[in-house]
Amino acid sequence: MTFQTALSLTLPIAVAIAAFGSALGLSRAIGNAMEAIGRQPEAYNKIQTAMIIGCAFIEALTIYALLTVLILQGKIG
Amino acid sequence: MVEETAHAINATHEAAHGTSQEGLKELANWITLVNEHSHGSVAHFLHHWENVVFSLSAALFLVGISFFATRKKSLVPTPLQNALELAVESLDNLITGILGPRGRAYVPFTGTLFLYILIQNFMGLVPGMKAPTSSLNTTVALAVCVFFYVQGIGIKENGIIGYIDHFMGSPRDLVGWIMVPLNLPLHILEEFIKPMSLSLRLFGNILGEDSLIAAFVGLGILSLSFIHSPIGLPLQFPFFLLSMLLGTIQALVFTLLTTIYISLMLPHEETEHGHP
Repeated sequence: MTFQTALSLTLPIAVAIAAFGSALGLSRAIGNAMEAIGRQPEAYNKIQTAMIIGCAFIEALTIYALLTVLILQGKIG
Repeated sequence: MVEETAHAINATHEAAHGTSQEGLKELANWITLVNEHSHGSVAHFLHHWENVVFSLSAALFLVGISFFATRKKSLVPTPLQNALELAVESLDNLITGILGPRGRAYVPFTGTLFLYILIQNFMGLVPGMKAPTSSLNTTVALAVCVFFYVQGIGIKENGIIGYIDHFMGSPRDLVGWIMVPLNLPLHILEEFIKPMSLSLRLFGNILGEDSLIAAFVGLGILSLSFIHSPIGLPLQFPFFLLSMLLGTIQALVFTLLTTIYISLMLPHEETEHGHP
């Protein structure tokens, strides 16, 4: 097995795992934000701002994984 | 016939994309085009420092707008002055909302950071320009500025003794002092990881968006290649909108994180968070 084969096999799996993990994390964050909005609808703006910032943090981890994949896939062939 | 089509596709591909073979491809900007057509040393120099050229033009753009808006400060503002006042007041409210009224002193740095990163992110969408934040060099430079600013605030607000005490986790009793060998390295490591994550987050997001736009421009050209058209379908348009949204969010996240790091460095007194 050459390293190109190994990369071609594992890079898509890496992206899939990163996306899956981020989906789990984001679902928890956004679900709790929705619940908080339901409890106090007048705080909608503040909760939305805090939710967006939290989602950007979680998304950043997925972006790290995507970055690694994108840098490595240039080395295939 | 087939290789003629392939050659045409290749030529339009190369013209649309920057022709660097390493890493992710972005769309060509004016410096890349000038560099391809001339072999002079000026073009080579500009191409080598293209991120600096674009960051400086973003900075000059901001300076120019501020200069023209504040030439005649009147109580009834001109449209440009009004827009700038709106931006400055919103940033002021945002940052003093997190840092309290004493945070007014930190609004110039963080507010400028937000506007600078915002303009740089949007430059990736202008045809013929490149977002300088899509290169790791620019984002690491911004993160290093934030690092030194936050450490400087820590030393200034707490004094040297208070600064080191903060790093040791403020030991007050025996348990605190026993935990110092654990707290100190962790805290120092955390202070170095913070700018690293700031820079990687901004870099990854903006590079990803620009590469996405470049990939869809290529797809659009490819889709009309059967009639040898030099222009393709504008398939990249939805990603312009996505890029504008995500660029704004990333600038906001960078600024808010900087503000939160500053608030962590300030002495931990009661900061008002709107408690009734």
